[in-house]
Amino acid sequence: MRIKEHPILGTIKKGKKVKYYYNGTEMEGYKGESIAAALHAEGVMVHRYTSKLHKPRGVFCAIGRCTDCVMIVDGKPNIRTCMTLLKEGMYIETQYGISGKEVWQ
Amino acid sequence: MIRYDVIVIGAGPAGLSASIEAAEAGMKVAVFDENTRPGGQLFKQIHKFFGAKEHKAKIRGFRIGEELLAEAEKLQVDVHLNAAVIGIHDFNSIAVVENEQVSFYKAGNLIIATGASENMVPFDGWTLPGVIGAGAAQTMMNLHGVLPGKKVLMVGSGNVGLVVGYQLLQAGVEIAAIIDAAPKIGGYGVHASKVARTGVPFLLSHTILKAEGEEFVTGAAVVEVDSKFQPIKGTEKHFDVDTICMAVGLSPMSQLLRIAGCEMKEMGGLVPACNEYGETSISGIFAAGDVAGIEEASSAMVGGRIAGAASALRDGFIMQGDFEEKYKALKESLNQLRQGMFCKENRGKTDMTATEEGIPLSNSLLEKGYLLEKEIIKFPGVKKKAGVHPIIECTQNIPCNPCQTACKFNCISIGENITALPVVIEDSKCTNCGMCVASCSGQAIFLLNEDSEDGFVSITLPYEFLPYPKKGVKGIALDRSGNRVCEAEIIGLRTAEAFDHTALLTMKVPSEFAMSARFFTL
Repeated sequence: MRIKEHPILGTIKKGKKVKYYYNGTEMEGYKGESIAAALHAEGVMVHRYTSKLHKPRGVFCAIGRCTDCVMIVDGKPNIRTCMTLLKEGMYIETQYGISGKEVWQ
Repeated sequence: MIRYDVIVIGAGPAGLSASIEAAEAGMKVAVFDENTRPGGQLFKQIHKFFGAKEHKAKIRGFRIGEELLAEAEKLQVDVHLNAAVIGIHDFNSIAVVENEQVSFYKAGNLIIATGASENMVPFDGWTLPGVIGAGAAQTMMNLHGVLPGKKVLMVGSGNVGLVVGYQLLQAGVEIAAIIDAAPKIGGYGVHASKVARTGVPFLLSHTILKAEGEEFVTGAAVVEVDSKFQPIKGTEKHFDVDTICMAVGLSPMSQLLRIAGCEMKEMGGLVPACNEYGETSISGIFAAGDVAGIEEASSAMVGGRIAGAASALRDGFIMQGDFEEKYKALKESLNQLRQGMFCKENRGKTDMTATEEGIPLSNSLLEKGYLLEKEIIKFPGVKKKAGVHPIIECTQNIPCNPCQTACKFNCISIGENITALPVVIEDSKCTNCGMCVASCSGQAIFLLNEDSEDGFVSITLPYEFLPYPKKGVKGIALDRSGNRVCEAEIIGLRTAEAFDHTALLTMKVPSEFAMSARFFTL
């Protein structure tokens, strides 16, 4: 769900196409956009599950305040995906509690 | 430790303006911002701003951001990005996280311009993915070009809800409704009207009950509330939406001021107690913009300039006389923005019934987002004239006047008082140039040509959607409420650099719809 042509902004300028991995699946996004934006464009809504009630969470404020959108990025948990820019080859995983799924279960 | 004359925290409209003013005075200035890009929220604002020329009225927010950045760069302001300020100590030293390390900087003056964060109302399901802040919607679509969703319920009818609602429509998102627990629309009538005429319904005295869905939002339930904001049983409504957008106010992000030990007060959230120059209870620590009290970007820019100039005066970079002259002009500019129906003194007032000119306010506008035809004809911007002439549907006293200078043929007058309603001058000659239509940030000006022989009139309206309808295309004219009223044929489409992405669409409709047809759809 990307905007191709905008009445005010014209053609949306994007950086170089980059490949990244979302839970092991290869995906494409653009350099310079946030991880959250790249995932949202691909329809990914759930970024993590809470540790006690296992409730899904996703992008909420998109400006680094709420920390709802944190994920495991290149093995590091609690990375604010709205504030972190997408890079080639990034490995992005759904966060369960404060770690990966295996540990959580 | 690196030392500056001024450290500004926050590279938004207030912070950048403060840094420009201080750097112009010859100070060595650094700006710190935790974001990867400067500009704060300015680069997400794609609408034309209100105000007068000195407030950069009729310029789109992101262009103002570009202008400020270019100015700051020219003055060699040191802009540190990805740099989160986490502490202030010993009055004038800051601790900053940069590259995952803490570093320290010192300055004779600190200007804190950290802005605001969005408020939230908790409700059943409010943590579900798909419930987002209005700012998040703007970030997604206007910065990254990513659609926040396909169909949105907007919660909140203040200017943020209305402006973001309109921007969602521009991006191609459908809006199910705009709801608000208050009985009246909170934002400018002109903002509401440009959304209403596209067919978006307003549900006032309605609150959100529930975000539906297991993993993410699949729908929303809303309910009507009584005068005490209690839900009325049996009035529940359901919307099939994938996104619920929350625009329920802002709170100052004043934590750093508290850390610094500034005296605080309650004003829609904790704000620092400041003097007229933005200086807090601690000499040399200033606050500017939303962190000093929620307003909007235009006044934040002026507040930033005042704080920048005051810090320059404090350290002797400018003379007292020069400062006073500067301050007088800036204060006057700020006062202009703080007038009218939506100013602080009038906020939340429920007993306002008429404009400054004595014209009754439209309840339809306040409750449904549009004026009735019988109401609109009472306003001084709406006159019956021969030939092409502007119809100005600007009906609230707001600080904005670009239309009167946009018309080079003296058809439009507002006068000295910036909040006065625009008047169409009786014996003036409109040339159909369209500059007034494009200059109106509220998109409230139309050009009407009632001279017709074949029973048709032409209406020119501001249009900011893609694709543009081509000349000769037949479609449907909508009235102010978004209802279909008649067939319409596009007989002209004008775009120009001077119009700044507001296209002027001219449609031909039967003459009986001259005063009701205000939008076009296929």
